[in-house]
Amino acid sequence: MSGAAAQPFLELINTNKGIIHKVAKMYMDKAEDQEDLFQEIVMQLWKAYPSFKGNSKFTTWMYRVALNTAIVFFKKENKKIDKTTLTEHIDIADVNESDDKEEKLAYLYKAVQELNSIEKALIFLFLEDQSHKEIAQNLGISEINARVKLNRTKEKLQSIIKKNGYEF
Amino acid sequence: MNFDQLKNEWNKEEANGLIVSENILKIKEAHTPIDNIRKKMKSEFFTQILSLIVLAFIPRIFNFSPEMKPIFIAFYAMASGFTAYYFFKFYLIYKNSYNMTIDTRKNLLWFYYEMKLNIELYKALTYMLGLIALAGFIAYIFINKGAPINVDAKKLTFVIVLVCFSSIFLIGLATELWTRYYYGKDLKKVKDIIDQLDDE
Repeated sequence: MSGAAAQPFLELINTNKGIIHKVAKMYMDKAEDQEDLFQEIVMQLWKAYPSFKGNSKFTTWMYRVALNTAIVFFKKENKKIDKTTLTEHIDIADVNESDDKEEKLAYLYKAVQELNSIEKALIFLFLEDQSHKEIAQNLGISEINARVKLNRTKEKLQSIIKKNGYEF
Repeated sequence: MNFDQLKNEWNKEEANGLIVSENILKIKEAHTPIDNIRKKMKSEFFTQILSLIVLAFIPRIFNFSPEMKPIFIAFYAMASGFTAYYFFKFYLIYKNSYNMTIDTRKNLLWFYYEMKLNIELYKALTYMLGLIALAGFIAYIFINKGAPINVDAKKLTFVIVLVCFSSIFLIGLATELWTRYYYGKDLKKVKDIIDQLDDE
């Protein structure tokens, strides 16, 4: 694809980069892995861009590509989630100093690392205000299944956050 | 936990200070499991080509007799033919690019079966090359080294059958273990995610 085609694409990406940033933070706990995933998502979006015909919103199309990429993106070394690393990743001192908003999100990102790839996708789509129908369509499952899975995942997330000594 | 409140905070979060430039689009290498498998197969392709070149010197290295040479050429041609056939098939799969815009379930199933197909083709090729090598080795023993004529025919048959069966078993086992070790990890990860999706 030419540089001319790249410009409108980059504008769309820069407008919606928050989505990719959030997906990367949900799926990877370490900053360098988040960066790798961010790059991979942008690359996959760029590869798939010719197929975007504008029939749906750019963000709707972007959710799908970003999540599909994140779900099959594996770190070079598949490390088990190390609780020590997670604690280190979220600097508690910073969290205490930051406002309540950042604190909640920091604990959310910490807790989602204990969810599996599909549970992460469910929570992400839920937080992005997607309906059960839209979640089901994105993941390729039935609406009932999406509802049941989302409820279970929300309960699981709550208990992880509680276990980590936080509640909101 | 108040999820509505969390949603509000979530919506307010921005990726400030992050600029996506054109340089990011120049990255050519993707890291999906299918890309990993394709990359490994590509490196195996070059190893295979190198092996075929080295194999061409076998008659000279082992000082093949004039009777053994045409047999070697026949086996060598078979090995090259199978390699070419399978690598043509790999190439067709390689060209078949994936589509990340379909739903997650379809996408995962595509990845899984494409990987499985790649691996099964690879296994078939390895198995065939192993059998050709075994046949070549037996021919070498009998023709180049001279058949042990004074040995009891029954014993000889037994030994040949035993050697063939155990070799076939070992080739099969080695192929299975190697593909599991080299390619199986990526395949298992994708299968696990499909199971997570299917889990009611």
